[in-house]
Amino acid sequence: MRLPVSWLREFIPVVPAPEQIAERLSLAGLEVETIDRIRPAFSGVVVAKVLRVERHPNADRLTVCEVDAGPRGQFRVVCGAPNVRPGMMSALALVGARLAPPKSANRTDDELGAPVGAAVIRGVESQGMLCSERELGLSDDHSGIITLDDTASPGDDLATILFLDDHVLDVAVTPNRGDCLSILGLAREVAALFGLRLKRPRLRARLPHRSRGEVADRVQDDAPISVEISAPDLCPRYAALAMDGVTIGRSALWLRRRLMLCGMRPINNVVDVTNYVMLEMGQPLHAFDLDRLRDARIVVRRAGQDRELETLDHVRRMLDPDDLVIADGRGPVALAGVMGGLESEVSDSTKRILLESAFFEPRTIARTSRRFGLVSEASYRFERGVDPKGQVDALVRASVLMRELAGGREMGKLIDVDVRRFVEPEIEVSLERVEGLLGVKLSAAEVARRLKGLGINVKHKKGGRIIASIPSFRLDLREEADLVEEIARLNGFSDVPAVRCRPLREITVEDRRRQVTDTLRACLVGCGLFEVATLAFASAEQNRSFAGLAGSDAIRIINPLSTEFGELRRSLIPGLVATLRFNLNREAQACHVFEIGKVFYLEAGELKEAQRLGILSYGELALGKLGERRPQADFFTAKGMVETCLTSLGLANKVDFVRDPAHCVSWLHPGRQARLSLEADRLLGYIGELHPELASELDLDDRPVVVCELDLEQLIAYGSLRRNVVPPPRFPSVRRDLALVVDRDVPVGQVQKVVAQAGEGLMLESVELFDVYEGASLPAGKKSVALSCRYRAKDRTLTDAEVNQIHAQLAAQAVRQLGATLR
Amino acid sequence: MSTSTIRERLEEIRRQALEALSQSLEPAQVESVRVRVLGRNGELTELIRSLRSLPEHERPVVGQLANQLKRELEERIEALARELRRRRIEQSLAQPALDVTLPGMEFGRGRIHPLTQITGQILEIWTAMGFEVALTPDIEDDFHNFGALNFPPDHPAREMQDTFFLEGGRLLRTHTSNGQIRVMERRRPPLAVVCPGTCYRRDELSVRYSPMFSQLEGFMVDDFGKVTMAHLKGTLTEFLRAFFGPEADVRFRASFFPFTEPSAETDVRCIFCKGAGCRVCKQSGWIEILGCGMIHPNVLRAVGYDPQKHAGFAFGMGLERLALIRLGVEDMRLFFENDLRFLAQF
Repeated sequence: MRLPVSWLREFIPVVPAPEQIAERLSLAGLEVETIDRIRPAFSGVVVAKVLRVERHPNADRLTVCEVDAGPRGQFRVVCGAPNVRPGMMSALALVGARLAPPKSANRTDDELGAPVGAAVIRGVESQGMLCSERELGLSDDHSGIITLDDTASPGDDLATILFLDDHVLDVAVTPNRGDCLSILGLAREVAALFGLRLKRPRLRARLPHRSRGEVADRVQDDAPISVEISAPDLCPRYAALAMDGVTIGRSALWLRRRLMLCGMRPINNVVDVTNYVMLEMGQPLHAFDLDRLRDARIVVRRAGQDRELETLDHVRRMLDPDDLVIADGRGPVALAGVMGGLESEVSDSTKRILLESAFFEPRTIARTSRRFGLVSEASYRFERGVDPKGQVDALVRASVLMRELAGGREMGKLIDVDVRRFVEPEIEVSLERVEGLLGVKLSAAEVARRLKGLGINVKHKKGGRIIASIPSFRLDLREEADLVEEIARLNGFSDVPAVRCRPLREITVEDRRRQVTDTLRACLVGCGLFEVATLAFASAEQNRSFAGLAGSDAIRIINPLSTEFGELRRSLIPGLVATLRFNLNREAQACHVFEIGKVFYLEAGELKEAQRLGILSYGELALGKLGERRPQADFFTAKGMVETCLTSLGLANKVDFVRDPAHCVSWLHPGRQARLSLEADRLLGYIGELHPELASELDLDDRPVVVCELDLEQLIAYGSLRRNVVPPPRFPSVRRDLALVVDRDVPVGQVQKVVAQAGEGLMLESVELFDVYEGASLPAGKKSVALSCRYRAKDRTLTDAEVNQIHAQLAAQAVRQLGATLR
Repeated sequence: MSTSTIRERLEEIRRQALEALSQSLEPAQVESVRVRVLGRNGELTELIRSLRSLPEHERPVVGQLANQLKRELEERIEALARELRRRRIEQSLAQPALDVTLPGMEFGRGRIHPLTQITGQILEIWTAMGFEVALTPDIEDDFHNFGALNFPPDHPAREMQDTFFLEGGRLLRTHTSNGQIRVMERRRPPLAVVCPGTCYRRDELSVRYSPMFSQLEGFMVDDFGKVTMAHLKGTLTEFLRAFFGPEADVRFRASFFPFTEPSAETDVRCIFCKGAGCRVCKQSGWIEILGCGMIHPNVLRAVGYDPQKHAGFAFGMGLERLALIRLGVEDMRLFFENDLRFLAQF
């Protein structure tokens, strides 16, 4: 439902800002999906009354008009429009006004044309101009100047009276809130939300009308037509009003504007008025051409034997015997509540009309509408339930507008066949139940205040019970729980506290730790490692040899089982090495294991404990077929395992493998180790091959033992299980290779980094290493680093020429920065 | 054998052994010399064994010579082995240092589908909070998918969910809310259950919709007054903070579902713009996450509970939606296209 704020103001004169309304409506269950800002495509245009029209002395087709713009003064303008008449109200662009540039849409375009100047036209000075709808960007009509009705006063700002400067809220109305499919319904809600007074819709003329409680089958006294309901189970109420003297034509501009703001297309004044009242009050109306109704009868009944009806949209519909139809004396003339029949449609020649305002049972409308796949503004509302007491008010409102806009007069009294005689239901609410459902204690006075704000009348009874009398427009309120929602929803349940259920426990930091460690475990198992569990004890000698990542000293045990277990371990590595030794002694040819466990140390005299991840890898990896040489564990296979882990925690790009001869780990091979540094300066851990001295003590063959120990606390703190996912690209990439000859001791990682940086802003997607070569064909002390550069644009396929140029640019920069040569 | 031949033989063994050792560069070669000379059937061992056949008075002299030679060779061999090992270590240490920035071996690790991963994380949170997991069928009847959940026939609420119908009058469930009915109709409160599962609606696969998607329904029922809207808020806030992070800001908005009353929708302050307004939250600063409410009395009646005696809350969330929000992408199709370039990012 689209809600123009200007229309809302007719019910609530001073409304809050549109954003505020949207926010509160959304919290209360009527989600505002968008707020459209409507702006006029002109400025400086006012209402003016044409006082006098004279022939232009020097031009046959032009006139010179004296116009009155109220407080703005009187002006003389030259006009070329054929429809200008003394006494008419039109739109005057004052000198300095700015009009819509040609073809501009009237809402989005912020640019206005050049200011209107005072001009001399064929010798007569024109102080402004009278405008057509097209000149103001309102429609394509350029046949004459705008005609305004006399609700406008000279001098009024045109943009204001035509609601051209407005906000329109698009409200998503849930299926239970049929009452909010109208400006009135939404206004009631807004008034309740902000505690504002709702101005009742103006029903200036109360019509004489009579109503019947029984199934009426007689001709109503003086009405030109009789109404009979023969399916009261499907239609408990049918009201109608006949009018004659109607002149079919175009609706007033303001009314057309409002329909359009609400997303409806103007048709003619009669149909537009029925739609206007529906939008305003939520009651769908239908206008029949009275002279096309045969036998002066309306019968509301099931289709029965009648098999066919051609609806307004020129489709012949095959009726089901249970479809509810409006029939005249001969047969169906409308598919009740869904769509009118073509035969009785209001046409340009219509003089007398019959306005219908009924209550149809939601289920029958839903069934018929669904069967035909036909959803109309009317059926949409009937399906969701209209106000069962709203029929007569809507007819009265429509008749007022018809008189004003289509020149009609009522014929006879208003007919109102009301079979059911709706009575407001009462629902009992107990404070105890309110508290039991909401979990918050509210006083009887507070509950009553909130319900009253929604138009629900309340009576207090003993024992904290309240009897609520439900207004006719809120038929969705059927039982106590519904009222409990009403009590709590207006502020988005904000006075309901958030309470944890007793048996449920809090989600703690520990749960996150476990998620991280589980992720690491899954990765390492995926790389072919076995998880091991070793004892947390170590000998003093082990702790001296294998210093951990933190702390100065080991923690001693006062009463150890043995000196071999005299201290708590500072590192996981001794346990992993012992595991290797144990398995080698039992004929193992390879050993790939990891452990997630605690280490212990003294730090500034305090006893500390922390989690570590340790990896040991030795021997052939279980990849490859029988008879094929399988890869053996070495620094780079273990590095691959660590990289897999880092990737799974989103740390791949934040961790560097650094060779740091100044801070070697003494028990690792000095030339085959690296420290892992996180975000440049934090020590995350180390990786390397065991020192050959140590390896020779283990009595191994020449194959290296690679170990790695990482600080799990930092992995948990800095790692993320969140993924910054990039949707797969839509356009292909182009690959170009680059071989750079650099000094042998330049790390390849640095070469990659420099190339990647050189490619920033050049559509370089990735840089991959595919070969490192040292050998006879290169100068001594040099190596060749071969990289594959992938280029890709987000929005198109790159051309060869384009890539060649980018790649050359990148290569030149890399060569310069690395002191390299191209190979 | 005479003493002199034995002396000659000893001399020969010594010469040959020392020559072999002098040519040994590998520990294995040294070892083979040791075995050949000093092993159980080695030349010297054999010789010493043969001394037993000498006359008693000749034995001490040659025996001493032989043992001297044995000790000498053992020492030589051990020294040489030590030396070779030392040389090997020195060699290893003298090798040029590795370029540790070269990439590690690629393990070609496979991936678990992101939805499985996220569903696992979500279930872990709920089970950690004390909810049990129940699985219910995808093929349902009208009663369990609609009727018992307070969707009257022909009610417009049914249109919110465009249904696939199957032969025999059955249908594919449009939500996991059937889990509430399936569990409650065979058990009595207290209950705290979550039901993950696949749902189906007649929507073309597009950026926002898929004909097949996953939901997680959860509910808790106990004696009236023990489970309130306040508990619902507390429980969902707990879950959302566990899932999105402790800083997640949560709000509730009134809404409508046929099977809950009061009904609410739960939003999380946009995790991308922190509430300032961006494309993902459509400038509202909030992202809609799930629907919830107090179980409608008619639903309790449908499973034979007395709404005067029992009450409960229920909630339902779209798992793809949660995953997309967590991942910061918008395209529902990613989950079902299985583009390896997408899957590899998990």
